Amino acid sequence: MLFSNPFTVLSESIPVFVMQTYVVLMILAVAFGTLFDLYHKRSAEFFALRRKKSEAAAQRRLAGWELASLATRTIGKEVMTSGEFCKWQRQVSHLLIMYGFVLYLITTLLMVFVYARAARTPALVTGLWNIGALMVLAGGLWFFFALKVNVAYEKHSPLRLIPADLFVGSLLTSVAFALLWHFAQTVAKGAAATWVLLILYIFFTTLLFVSVPWSKFAHMFYKPVAAFQKRVEEANGSSDLPTPAKTSNIKG
Amino acid sequence: MPTFVDMMKCDGCGECVEICPSDIMHIDPIYRRSYNIEPNFCWECYSCVKACPQHAIDVRGYADFAPLGHKVRVLREKEKGSVSWKIKYRDGRVKEFTFPIRTTPWGSIKAPGDYEAPDRSGLSSPLLAHEPTALKVAALPTLPSLKK
Repeated sequence: MLFSNPFTVLSESIPVFVMQTYVVLMILAVAFGTLFDLYHKRSAEFFALRRKKSEAAAQRRLAGWELASLATRTIGKEVMTSGEFCKWQRQVSHLLIMYGFVLYLITTLLMVFVYARAARTPALVTGLWNIGALMVLAGGLWFFFALKVNVAYEKHSPLRLIPADLFVGSLLTSVAFALLWHFAQTVAKGAAATWVLLILYIFFTTLLFVSVPWSKFAHMFYKPVAAFQKRVEEANGSSDLPTPAKTSNIKG
Repeated sequence: MPTFVDMMKCDGCGECVEICPSDIMHIDPIYRRSYNIEPNFCWECYSCVKACPQHAIDVRGYADFAPLGHKVRVLREKEKGSVSWKIKYRDGRVKEFTFPIRTTPWGSIKAPGDYEAPDRSGLSSPLLAHEPTALKVAALPTLPSLKK
């Protein structure tokens, strides 16, 4: 299972061109969904206004190298290591989901666009596809059943679904059915169960990418912008937070 | 002065939900960020403001404290044991205040649950549970006994 390309096997029943068209449509759905999200939530307008206010309140203008340094630190902390989370459990869970999803996405693109017609897919690619999916499941299930704030602090049942679960729910089901479909394909090629699992995989994958305007999917584009803006405000003196205390009251 | 959450800054950690004594800090079902469900019931204890690690909770000041159009921001610094307030008035004036909130390192105070459960014999004592050791004194002052 680890070393077979499920899309090569699928190409015996469905033309590769159809699979590639589906992937392109999903990429377009994410792009369109993000733009629609920007428009109907007026996020771009909000960010532009906040930047204008920050520039007006700035005590000094930042040089180009300072902005580059802030961008590098944002990428290093908030983007690469999810450093904005104050609880290590959420940080680890988020990193598992994020890096797992990136691995899963890149290897899916490689398996569909490069190796779907090839006689053999490198074991590294298929292995990373499985590992990526398992990382998403590990981080996602941990988050879904134990770390979700409404579950951990409001003591809601994890199965009591709310609109905020749309993204994580569709991501988890999409990845879980991808693995189940791959497993069924390996052990029982051509069986009806394989087709049922494939349909479920496609349904939840489509839901994940088409629901961008209503889900948290677009946060991966907004979060770095918001984190960078926060750093800029701290650096140019426009932050509205109080000046840090000059002395410590802690004795001993 | 009830509190409100800036959802762009909140990361949904739940600290304010846990600490709010009035149980009015809840989680928004659409964005999974916290919000004050009933500002009228806010006790104005500012536990949530001080507990928020992202400084995402602001205070909406009353008109007799600061006229409309103002902004009140709070910064708690655990490592310094202080909380600072910044009030920006609508005419641009800014006032800042810093207060000490504790003198011992964060997390160093023993929680009530960490003490042994008191036994029933303590009921006949004028002392409260774990006094005087928990107060770090040898003995509590007592009134001289009356001569009959």
